[in-house]
Amino acid sequence: MPDRLVSHGQLVTRRRLLWRGAATSSPGVLWLLVFLAIPCLLLLALAFASRGSYGQIIWSPTWRNFRKLAGYGVFGWSADYLWILARTVWLALLTTILCILLAYPIAFFVARRSPRWRNFWLVLLMIPFCTNLVIRTYGWQLVFSILSPNLYPGAIAVIIGMVSSNLSFAVLPLYTSVERIDWSIVDAAEDLYASRWSVFRHGILPQTRPGLVVAVIVTFIPALGTFVVPDLLGGSKTMLIGNLIQQQFGASRDFPFGAALSFTLMLATLIALGIYQRRAGEAGLV
Amino acid sequence: MTRNRRLAATTTATGMALLYLPLLAVVVLSLNQSRLGLHWGGFTLNWYARAWKNPAVLHALTNTLLLAAASTAAATVLGTALAIGIARYPWPRWTQATFSLLVHLPVVTPDIIFAAALLVVFRLLREMTGLFNLGMGTMIIAHVTFQIAFVALVVRARLATIEPEIEEAARDLYATNSDVLRKILLPLLAPGIVAGALLAFTLSLDDFVISFFTSGPESATLPIYIFSSLKRGLSPEIHAVSTVIFLVTAILAVAMQLLSRSD
Amino acid sequence: MKLIIALLLCCISTFAAAAGDLHLLTWSDYIDPEIPRQFEKLTGTSVKIDVYEDTEAMMAKLQAAGGESQYDLVIVTDHAIPVLAKLGLIQKLDPAKLPNAKNVDARFVKPPYDPEGAYSVAYQWGTVGIIYNKKLAGFTPSWSMLLDPARQPGKFLMLDSMRDTLGAALKLNGASVNADKPDDLKKAMETLIAAKQSEKFAGFSGSPNAARQVAGGQADLAMAYNGDALNAIKEDKSSSCDYVVPAEGSIIWVDTMVITSKAPNPDAAHQFINHILDAKVGAQLSNYIHYATPNAAAVSAIDPQSRNDTRIYPPEDQLKRMEYLKDMADQTSLYDEAWTAIKSR
Repeated sequence: MPDRLVSHGQLVTRRRLLWRGAATSSPGVLWLLVFLAIPCLLLLALAFASRGSYGQIIWSPTWRNFRKLAGYGVFGWSADYLWILARTVWLALLTTILCILLAYPIAFFVARRSPRWRNFWLVLLMIPFCTNLVIRTYGWQLVFSILSPNLYPGAIAVIIGMVSSNLSFAVLPLYTSVERIDWSIVDAAEDLYASRWSVFRHGILPQTRPGLVVAVIVTFIPALGTFVVPDLLGGSKTMLIGNLIQQQFGASRDFPFGAALSFTLMLATLIALGIYQRRAGEAGLV
Repeated sequence: MTRNRRLAATTTATGMALLYLPLLAVVVLSLNQSRLGLHWGGFTLNWYARAWKNPAVLHALTNTLLLAAASTAAATVLGTALAIGIARYPWPRWTQATFSLLVHLPVVTPDIIFAAALLVVFRLLREMTGLFNLGMGTMIIAHVTFQIAFVALVVRARLATIEPEIEEAARDLYATNSDVLRKILLPLLAPGIVAGALLAFTLSLDDFVISFFTSGPESATLPIYIFSSLKRGLSPEIHAVSTVIFLVTAILAVAMQLLSRSD
Repeated sequence: MKLIIALLLCCISTFAAAAGDLHLLTWSDYIDPEIPRQFEKLTGTSVKIDVYEDTEAMMAKLQAAGGESQYDLVIVTDHAIPVLAKLGLIQKLDPAKLPNAKNVDARFVKPPYDPEGAYSVAYQWGTVGIIYNKKLAGFTPSWSMLLDPARQPGKFLMLDSMRDTLGAALKLNGASVNADKPDDLKKAMETLIAAKQSEKFAGFSGSPNAARQVAGGQADLAMAYNGDALNAIKEDKSSSCDYVVPAEGSIIWVDTMVITSKAPNPDAAHQFINHILDAKVGAQLSNYIHYATPNAAAVSAIDPQSRNDTRIYPPEDQLKRMEYLKDMADQTSLYDEAWTAIKSR
């Protein structure tokens, strides 16, 4: 690219422009570097540090935290932490699937309203999404204790709580795609006597793929790292990795182990993103 | 076709129930005379009065608003500058990609990892300098960090709809750089900036995990206050406080929607 | 612009108001609200109270959250003092500022957990036991009521406190609450995990909340501290609950007042400690929260009902079965690992 270029009505070198760009963007970039990128790197480094007997951080490298995660504790081997990881992934998957299953019909419903009413329904969906998670979750404590005390605390209560808290996340991006569906394709498929599933798979799914991708990502990732819902609705029997991390940075005062857990969670998130991007790229299939 | 319509309608009803049942429970119980809430004891606004007089509640409310206002102000300025700085200058491809990554990082990272990372940094900074005690300051820093990304993304989206030719035209008319910024770009960007600020404000009000990890003794926000009270035993005052929060966020949500429509 | 100035002024005024205050960190429901009010009237310093539910959370606040420079006075339990001293989080008290220290009973001066009496002054002492509904069939004063799935008579809660709950399991299995062998801890861990898997288990909780749930009928029995149990029983007059120390033995604890190493207002902290040590205030405190006072001068002003209550002042034969918790130094990791395993499974 030529170094001198005519732009902005003046003769401005590209370098001069970039200096100006740097000046404008640098406060923001610096902030993000100092308070986001570097802390994440520090967390990674901490995952390999040791813990003193009273919760101090000792910067001598060790694999202890990852061995502990793999189950090698003071009392012998036990699969506790691996179970927690597995439980977390499973619950997050279940929540995402349930949310998507609910989100599609809801998106269709809203899309079919007249334009005036559509906004009404969207606002109705937005309001819980904007309300604080703690309030929504302890509201479920109340609902369960009135309607069905046996379900709470327990895994079913956690699932219901998680679906409820993530539902709006799933519907809104999906809706943006559903709104733009070319219904003539769907009608054509139905005219050809395609089964309902075929209509969906070949007519609707490909058209809504962008929104679906966003919806899955935006539902699955927070579900992986959640700790409020299992903490308030799961009693002490449904511990997820979010709870474990919160415990390490709280009462257990084991920052290095907490860092190792966070690293694992981040890895799980990136793997999930990667898998999803790759599969979403495959022809037609989601 | 009608089968589909009925399915859509029932699912929507179920979805709405899932979304609003807990909130409804909180609202109803905030008006319930009886303390335990398992049976209706009569209608009362007593709990609202008591919550209003409760110094801990008022303190938490002040903290929440202060935090949201301060962090939104800082984040809007930094985020807007960031968006303009990335989008309006001819960066090479790899720099653009790095910027993109940096801005998307807070959006993709689970809250708890972000909160943990900040906690670690603050602890190390405290051991080195003696400052950065957990409190309002650290909370504001934490909130600004994730808000910048959201503001930048919203403003960048808005920026994309403004053709650079408008700025060129202004310069043809002898506008200086600062003129272009103040009189052309910012006014055109204004709806995007306001939308970004409103989003940042809502995110700050709504946040729990990050605030929970980075808060100190005097800096409990309303969500933190509610959470700690839950651990100690529910009092209907909490229901009153929560109902008020719910109503305020409802109004904010409507405002956001109306604003994005008038665009 | 004006908005920014207004915000800044708000911030400044908030911080300024905080400058002369005394910041107290203590167990929840652990002080008569009148006492800080009286203190403010006497000295003009207002007291800001922050509460915690278990010792580990308190240590996290001091160690990891910068609490040692934000709180002045902390009420900590005996076994935490050597740790806090070692970590440099508390400072030595100035005896010259504590004339009322002479009121403390000789038993609590220069105690094993603070051999020179340099860091702490006793606040209250008490026991760990079970609060239970008297109408429960098959209840005997034993830890197996909570920890043996074959004998649990009803819905129960355990204390969200590492040393207390592990201590109960250790006692049930015949070990000391200060066990340092991995086998003892492992057995205690397995006992607690089995107890937790029972469907009668209703969760971990802080002591005041657990006691209130039993008194209010939402649970049948729970581990709790004696004062919290007695307070809950008193509050809920319709309840028929009682508190008992199990036959296998239990924990006797002493809570103390300490001053943080970087306290913003150490003078006020000393003044407050001295205020609590006053004979009349000490009696007022114990009469309100139903714990035992270490203040010899206050004993005569204690309610006769409390003074003769064996649940607050246990007799010699019960005291023999109770142990003080000790700081386990390097063996603490055994307890930490066991506790994390119990919470996660």
